[in-house]
Amino acid sequence: MRRFIISVAAAMLVVLAVGGAVVAGDGGGSSVTRARLERSLPVAFANLYADQAKLLGHHGVTPASLHAEAMCDKGGAVEDDIGPGSNWNCLVSWTDPANPMPPEGYGKFELDVHSNGCYTAGGSSKLVGYQTITDTKGDVVTNPVSEFDGCFDPNGDNTPTGNLFPSLTSVTTTALLPDADHRISLQLSCGTGATGCQGMLSAVAGSTKLGSVSFDIPEEQTAKLRIPTPVPAGTDAVDFTLTVTRGTGPKGPVSETSLDMPAG
Amino acid sequence: MTTTVAQPRTPTSEQVTDPGRPRFGAALRWETRKLRAQLRARALVIGAILAPIAVVLVVHSQPRPPKDTLFGRFATENGFAMALLVLGVASQWVLPLLTAIVAGDIFASEDQHGTWKTVLTRSISRSRLFWAKAVVAVVFALLTLVLLAASTIAFSVLIVGAHPLTGLSGQTIPASSAVALVSTAWASMALPMVGFTCLALLFSVWSRNAAVGIAAPVVLGLVMQLVGALGGIETLRPFLLTTPFEAWHGLLAAPRFTGPLLESVVTSAGWSVACLTAAFLILRRRDITGG
Repeated sequence: MRRFIISVAAAMLVVLAVGGAVVAGDGGGSSVTRARLERSLPVAFANLYADQAKLLGHHGVTPASLHAEAMCDKGGAVEDDIGPGSNWNCLVSWTDPANPMPPEGYGKFELDVHSNGCYTAGGSSKLVGYQTITDTKGDVVTNPVSEFDGCFDPNGDNTPTGNLFPSLTSVTTTALLPDADHRISLQLSCGTGATGCQGMLSAVAGSTKLGSVSFDIPEEQTAKLRIPTPVPAGTDAVDFTLTVTRGTGPKGPVSETSLDMPAG
Repeated sequence: MTTTVAQPRTPTSEQVTDPGRPRFGAALRWETRKLRAQLRARALVIGAILAPIAVVLVVHSQPRPPKDTLFGRFATENGFAMALLVLGVASQWVLPLLTAIVAGDIFASEDQHGTWKTVLTRSISRSRLFWAKAVVAVVFALLTLVLLAASTIAFSVLIVGAHPLTGLSGQTIPASSAVALVSTAWASMALPMVGFTCLALLFSVWSRNAAVGIAAPVVLGLVMQLVGALGGIETLRPFLLTTPFEAWHGLLAAPRFTGPLLESVVTSAGWSVACLTAAFLILRRRDITGG
């Protein structure tokens, strides 16, 4: 009986300790921080990118010549940038003369970060290529940067790096679909970044101005913008001008895009 | 192993004053003999040598590498990565189980067979018997770890090959220094493994039941691992006995970091001392005459 009481008491003590730590902890005690990721990821990336360059036969790429920098964010604007999780996104910028960066100046990596300080990072295939690449000898080999593992020191430097990259505004609508009143709408997405997205979208159908709409989208969210003026009948295509005042657009601050109207 | 731990000691003053009382060395020798006679201890030793061969062969023949564990990505083409993949998987539950099978049983078997009175009427003191059993369990744990590590590293390199290894900072580690790093990573398992041995000893003494002594440390290990992996309660991580199993990551990074290894010494030592002390006190206060 006594042993039973002791064991129940011990079990309750453990549960209370864990429960207390949950309440008191609140993510504050986590060693997984934005600053540590921002220091660790570019180092691993640069080393592996140099390996990839060697495989592809690109000369003159060294980890140092890439000047890789990262800005990391967990779960968009709504979540604190601390703690393990699979919703970390890091924007990484680097300099490779053979492969210029897109206008926004960075590529996005999705990270799954564990509480022990190790992570798996997956890069965008647009910039780093697919899972396999063909090396100079003609062999199909694993692309070292497409997906990789890394670990940072859980006691490492935690002072903010100050790396900030603008959010990228992009148009996600691929086909226009007028409603019963012949009005059209366009969906915009605001990517990971320090700023969120603000600006103006204006639409022109041939020579008819359809008006403009302003937008203010927090990072990692989308918004549907409704153009106020109905599209005149017989219009083939609508031209849009995206002027971004905060963050960046697909082709810099001002980008133009055109979408066809559905037939009939 | 037996020759080193069971060597007869030089006569001490204690022996002269108390010639009838068995020495600590004698107790060690008995316990070692008992362990050697056990089928499961022999099976563990043989398994620690042979199992890695099977694991390495099976993983090596996979068409897709097991990417969900650290170093699994390169395991099918790099022997050092294979050895580290096996290390990562083994530390999750294999190492606690390996030691618990012996340590969790070593006290409880005396209850199971009703032999406490017999061993204690050889007029060996309880504390000497306790330490003899504890030393034998710890030495056995370390022996199986050494065998498992040597077998894993040797066969990984033989079967998969010794190529330069990609580290945890993307750096390339030449094969010559990779051997030392992988061996050190395996060696860093020794302290938490001793900790789990002491935990199993505690359960063995306290529960008087071999099944509890063997299963409880493994289950606790899994629970600690789960707790350590959860977000929000990371303040508990330094106190968990499973955290030292991950301290080797720093060795494979560039620049190398050894903070977690130092913390692992404190954590493992704390658990070991606490468990051994509790086990010792429980055994001393226990009423064995009724046994």
